[in-house]
Amino acid sequence: MNHLWSLLAESFWQILLPGLTMTIPLTAISFSIALVIAVAVALVQFARVPAARQIARFYIWVIRGTPLLVQLFVVFYGLPHIGILIDAFPAAVIVFSINQGAYCAETIRAALESVPPGQLEAAECAGMTWGQSIRRIVLPQALRTAFPPLSNSLIGMVKDTSLASNITVVEMFMATERIVARTAEPLALYIEVGVIYLLFCTVLTKLQRAGEKRLRVYG
Amino acid sequence: MLEVKNIQKSFGDLEVLKGVDLQVNKGDVVAILGPSGSGKTTLLRCMNFLERADGGTLTFDGESLPFQKITKKDVVRLRKKTGFVFQDYNLFRNKTALQNVTEGLMIGRKLPKAQAVELGEQALEKVGMLDHRDYYPSQLSGGQQQRVAIARAIATKPEIIYFDEPTSALDPELTGEVLAVMRTLANEGMTMLVVTHELGFARHVSNKVIFMEHGTVVESGDSYSFFEHPREARTRAFLQTLSGELVRAC
Repeated sequence: MNHLWSLLAESFWQILLPGLTMTIPLTAISFSIALVIAVAVALVQFARVPAARQIARFYIWVIRGTPLLVQLFVVFYGLPHIGILIDAFPAAVIVFSINQGAYCAETIRAALESVPPGQLEAAECAGMTWGQSIRRIVLPQALRTAFPPLSNSLIGMVKDTSLASNITVVEMFMATERIVARTAEPLALYIEVGVIYLLFCTVLTKLQRAGEKRLRVYG
Repeated sequence: MLEVKNIQKSFGDLEVLKGVDLQVNKGDVVAILGPSGSGKTTLLRCMNFLERADGGTLTFDGESLPFQKITKKDVVRLRKKTGFVFQDYNLFRNKTALQNVTEGLMIGRKLPKAQAVELGEQALEKVGMLDHRDYYPSQLSGGQQQRVAIARAIATKPEIIYFDEPTSALDPELTGEVLAVMRTLANEGMTMLVVTHELGFARHVSNKVIFMEHGTVVESGDSYSFFEHPREARTRAFLQTLSGELVRAC
């Protein structure tokens, strides 16, 4: 029993470290890019931009309809076949961004559509262009509505990054697997990595709550 | 100053405006009356391009444009000369009362912040809402919100303000404060085009009245003759059904 505790204590840092250097950066970078994609994809649909709107629908259809794991494999193991070699970490960033962008685009589109049309009309009647009205009036209101579901997606993504272990990214899960291979203590170690994921997500949940409180100012 | 000729608008098979003519001179306060479904709100929305008219011409400030040829650029340019007050206020929910007024000045007209705030405060003062400058719309009553909306419309010093049933969403006890503000504006010579059900306002504040039904103008004229000597039988019937409301002072 003593041996197990010291193993857990020792491995805690060995798992947490790749968490801090891989899982968190991978999540933060990918989610940021995903949000940019999502806003753009949501806006071309909201504005009914003719061709771009079709492309947006196609993108969402393909990405949401195929497994994340398959997307990772296509980019990391598939693309080198046609001469496109991408390192593991950037490949993971690309796939997670594009994947999450599709889901978040739908969240933001729904939020944009939930803003009463009178808000846009009033902004345009006040002498603002469509773009100015969206940027100053409609999008801020939509993002507030989208904040809880987007937080949901972010929390989901923290855990999805464990799939990157399949394309050789040494993140928390891969680090755990290596320790398991060495020590043959799968139950304790897999529970331990689960607890660390839970810790990360608990922090995000707290941040979400604080963020929602802040956004509540205008009732 | 403003003239609309033969404006037409259909929603699918429903013909809402069947060739309406309208003329507004500088300083006019024109009330548009009519039963619901007569097309008066659509007329106002078409005139500010919130709906796209199917036909007709708009002459504004000496510039004549067929509705169908108006570009997005024209729309932005023409809207800067007008103000619009909505039935359900449509204050920007994410902005304070003052920001609601300054937003169009700073973003639409690119005024420096200090100047926008000064104009914004003047406008809020005029509608009696300066002490609520930092309140969000959700913290204001309907009447207060509508007064801020009027401040937003006047701050840009427009040549005309369109009012789309500005008191219809308000409790009766709150309509008074909004009508009082509109009356002050009228006395100061603001040109106003007001779709309304307030006969008292039409009778005592506006100088011209247009009565619409089924997408056409039934009768129009100066408000005194319109109320005292209506020519059309339909106008008389309309006034008779609502005559109880005339008693209400404005």
